[in-house]
Amino acid sequence: MKRLLLLICLCGLISGTAQAQFNLDINRLIDTAKSIGQASTEIDEAGEIEIGRDVAARLLGAAPLHPNRDLQRYVNDVGRWLASQTERAELPWRFAVLDAPQVNAFATPGGFIFVTGGLVARMKTEAELAGVLSHEIVHVLRKHHLQAIQKGALANVASNVVALAVQDRNSALRNRLVSFGTELYVRGLDKTDELEADRLGVVIAARGGYDPWGLPVVLQTLQSISPDDSAVALMFATHPPPTERLDALEQRMLPVLDAYAAQPKLADRFLARLSAPR
Amino acid sequence: MSYQKIGVVAAIVLCVFCAPIVYADPATVARLTPLKKEPATDAETVAELEENTAVETGERRGGWIQVKTSTAATGWAKFLALRFAGSGTARAGGDSVAQLFNVARGGTSGSQVTTGVRGLDAEDISGAQPNAAALQTMDGYAVSADEAGRFAAAGPLQAQSVDYPSEE
Repeated sequence: MKRLLLLICLCGLISGTAQAQFNLDINRLIDTAKSIGQASTEIDEAGEIEIGRDVAARLLGAAPLHPNRDLQRYVNDVGRWLASQTERAELPWRFAVLDAPQVNAFATPGGFIFVTGGLVARMKTEAELAGVLSHEIVHVLRKHHLQAIQKGALANVASNVVALAVQDRNSALRNRLVSFGTELYVRGLDKTDELEADRLGVVIAARGGYDPWGLPVVLQTLQSISPDDSAVALMFATHPPPTERLDALEQRMLPVLDAYAAQPKLADRFLARLSAPR
Repeated sequence: MSYQKIGVVAAIVLCVFCAPIVYADPATVARLTPLKKEPATDAETVAELEENTAVETGERRGGWIQVKTSTAATGWAKFLALRFAGSGTARAGGDSVAQLFNVARGGTSGSQVTTGVRGLDAEDISGAQPNAAALQTMDGYAVSADEAGRFAAAGPLQAQSVDYPSEE
């Protein structure tokens, strides 16, 4: 019955033509949902993957895939191997290099991971690539973006409205939900999420058999880029400073991972795979 | 095998073992840190490196990196005690990796420079329209866990059992 009421509200919302009416309708809808009660609805894994696909499609609308198929397969090989070492190995993991000069990497819910050409071009070893992918994999494992979406404007007031937006791909609410999710890549996650992704990311790289110093090496590289360089503007705006991230890793993680520091960096394979596009 | 060939092989082997350490990357000391004889905390200290000292660096081993000072003192310093001024610069044009990312590409779409035009600045993301076709292409790049396992074995990479840190 509650669901039926909400559906009636939703139908009213969608059929409304005046765009100016939209926010008002949303507010009314939220009030209605509030008064109905908080039937707390967690987004299940299928919903997580669907939202992740929609957000991934938006990111792909911002920057194209790098045209080199071998490069894309290589990044998937490294990423899938790392994901296999985790508690969510069965997600439909997908990895891609975006053809953009900016230095950045992204993860969307459900296992979609992106790294920019601008960042890969500044790496020297496969262990560095593994470090960055592992950091992004943790965002998916710990549902950092999904939780931020749930905690966001809509979710805070009416989780059951969110549930309906998840169910109906073509609803206006769904569009709003995905827009909100996409905007997270401009606003950034909580600092605690980023530092957690660093801490667990180096563990995943070590599990994969890599020198766990790959991520710290990349952070050293980022640190050396001038904050005035437009290529790093968004990444610096959405992450703690590299120095702070390195300090946190140095204190808590790197002494523990010293035992794995002699694991391969695979610089030769990295350079070979990037230098010989077929 | 002729003596000449043996000589060549011996020379190559010798070269490998006597190859001079290459100190290629300049760095600056970010905080007072000891220069160690070996890459270990309990190794003999060769010198103290003052903040802002300019050094050349070589191979990194875990948290240690080979260092040569302007007075030709050599040893190992903590990797995180250094800052690498030039390492964030994107590769220059001649490099084949640079070509993969920076240089005009030929192919079916013509030969336009494709980078640096649009991309992933804040406004690009906020204003992005979904690209369903690109998402399908991305699906096509996916590899299975088995394929990834074979890729890892070729590395060779060996999976390890490592615990996550305990929550604070």
